[in-house]
Amino acid sequence: MELTLLRTAMFLYLAATMAALVGIAVRRELPQILLPRLLLVAVLVHAVSIVLRSAAAHHLALTTFDETLSFLALLLVALFLAVQRARPLVALGAIVSPLAFGLSFAADVVYEGVRPLPPVLRSPLFPVHVILSSLGDAVLALAFCASLLYLLQERRLKSRRVRGWFQHLPSLETLDRFNYRCLVWGLTLLTLGIVTGIVWAHTAWVGIWSSDPKLVFSLAAWVVYVALLQGRMTAGWRGRRAATLTIAGFALILVSFVGVNVLGLGEHGKAF
Amino acid sequence: MERGIVIVGLNHRTAPVEIRERVAFSNGRLEPALRRLVELGDVAEGAILSTCNRVEVIACGADPAAVGRALPGFLAAVHGVPDALLAEHLYAFNGREAVRHLFRVAASLDSMVVGEPQILGQLKEQYAAAAATGASGQVLHRCFHKSFSVAKKIRRETGIAEKAVSIGSAAVELARGIFDSLADKTAMLVGAGAMGELTARQLLGHGIGSVMVANRTFDRAVDVARELDGMPVPWEQLAKTLPLADLVIGAASGDDYLLGAAVFDEALRERRRRPMFVIDLAVPRSVDPAVNALDGVYLYDIDDLEGVIADNRGARAREAAKAETIVEAEVEAFWRWFTSLDTVPTIVALREKLETIRRRELERTLAALGDVDPRQREAVERLSATIVNKILHGPLTALRRHQGDREQAFYVEAARRLFRLADPTAEDDEEE
Repeated sequence: MELTLLRTAMFLYLAATMAALVGIAVRRELPQILLPRLLLVAVLVHAVSIVLRSAAAHHLALTTFDETLSFLALLLVALFLAVQRARPLVALGAIVSPLAFGLSFAADVVYEGVRPLPPVLRSPLFPVHVILSSLGDAVLALAFCASLLYLLQERRLKSRRVRGWFQHLPSLETLDRFNYRCLVWGLTLLTLGIVTGIVWAHTAWVGIWSSDPKLVFSLAAWVVYVALLQGRMTAGWRGRRAATLTIAGFALILVSFVGVNVLGLGEHGKAF
Repeated sequence: MERGIVIVGLNHRTAPVEIRERVAFSNGRLEPALRRLVELGDVAEGAILSTCNRVEVIACGADPAAVGRALPGFLAAVHGVPDALLAEHLYAFNGREAVRHLFRVAASLDSMVVGEPQILGQLKEQYAAAAATGASGQVLHRCFHKSFSVAKKIRRETGIAEKAVSIGSAAVELARGIFDSLADKTAMLVGAGAMGELTARQLLGHGIGSVMVANRTFDRAVDVARELDGMPVPWEQLAKTLPLADLVIGAASGDDYLLGAAVFDEALRERRRRPMFVIDLAVPRSVDPAVNALDGVYLYDIDDLEGVIADNRGARAREAAKAETIVEAEVEAFWRWFTSLDTVPTIVALREKLETIRRRELERTLAALGDVDPRQREAVERLSATIVNKILHGPLTALRRHQGDREQAFYVEAARRLFRLADPTAEDDEEE
């Protein structure tokens, strides 16, 4: 049942992708109305799927790789919808929706079903760590989406060929400001996620945590984001440079996420 | 004989400006001409549309052919030009075609720049003049108001006016891709010539926050700045003030580029790399093309802007096709209403309606009376017929008396509404 719901949500993300693409190409009202509604239904279905799975497992279903992927997709879309309420950014939806589709598709591919909670995860710090890290990842994923749009819009304006598919992208200023806001929030959450992880690992794993590849890549991403924030606040970095660094940081997060789990490296790679 | 609407006129496609200017109705000449127009025997209602691109006389009357024959002579006489001078430039539309033409003009489908918004305002103004002098009546009232609402509908439902087709609006369209809002942005006009001033004015019209004006001769900068409610900048201070500008309009030429990459690089540093949008209107160009390579600067020269405008014109033409469909439907609706205003069918309908009522009530009364002899029956029948005829006498006389004159539409419509005769234009679409 929960897998069916996950797949339903997945196809709704795909439908939302279509709506968003049409929305940036023609700017008519229908896709603008359709996109948030499709995503809202998708998120609700998706949330029910996670709740059902948690109920079946008797613990928060955020432990296995597929569970975390699925949770990240859910958070990403939920955050986008929250942002969308304040200001409709259909074009952002055109990046968020396929990303959510990709994440839930990956979750489907590596689906393992319910597994008992390993003893090492039986700690009150565990849900705190997972939720903070995932939230941080989701906010930074939004920043990544906005950065992609920024680079597209920037290239369009620089090339002076302003006609074509991307006529209705948000302005550079809007995207840059949004990117900055996401950076501040995402970095804060990511920091808290890493800190809670370290504190908890210190007691749970004793000694081996510092060379955990997931932690290493997360720290690398963290360093990129801190450097970017520093640059933005003191040296006035913005625009293309900020967008490129945001994308680089998110690439490291993806490596920490996918690479490590898929290859099964380190303590994180064993189960989660 | 059937009433009709006729338009006779010329426009930018049929007549050169030397002809158009000779028949244009300047301020003060419109009202006397309108009065003269309705004094023509065949014209029941009239209106005149005169812009720099077109002069058209719209009239309706009982004999459209006669009206159509009278209008060219009227146009020539009122301007004191020979008939022959105009003959080859004039076009004429009759009936449905005339209504379609008016709707297309109002919706800016017949304009030199399709979708330009000024024509509707001019049309409203000149219709108001026709209404004020009493030249227009019921039919033209409805026809013009319908044309206004068709124009608005087209503006709302098609993208005909969505795309920028002037330098200023093209610049604004591009600026919206860079800046979130224009209200807190400053434009710097470099070179206070006519072209630059016009563009700066268009930018202000689109909501840009403020303008600075730099010019080689400072006095001119001061004058233009006062005109635009902006701030004059001495020429020597140009580089120093450049960082304050979000938008730079280069409109002054020199032997060499006035603004080079080094100046912009410095300005960007000062602005902490906040983006700058530079439009170079000058030929030869005033801004070094290398500036576009700087991170955060978006430079468009006059050809780039013209390119944007040409693309937008193409897009407007495609939207115009949708607009034509809307016009077609509205012309049909108007024409249904217009033909319903003919006198004869109205009289027939009125008679039929009252006759039906009389018959029904007569049957009912005779049935209630029960046994009546033929004489009594005939008396009652005669009574009812006489009452109906006496009641009808006034309305029918009025309808016949006004057949063909400017009051006809008024009386016919009143009769149709008072007696609730079937209305062929079922949808009620009066607006404003």
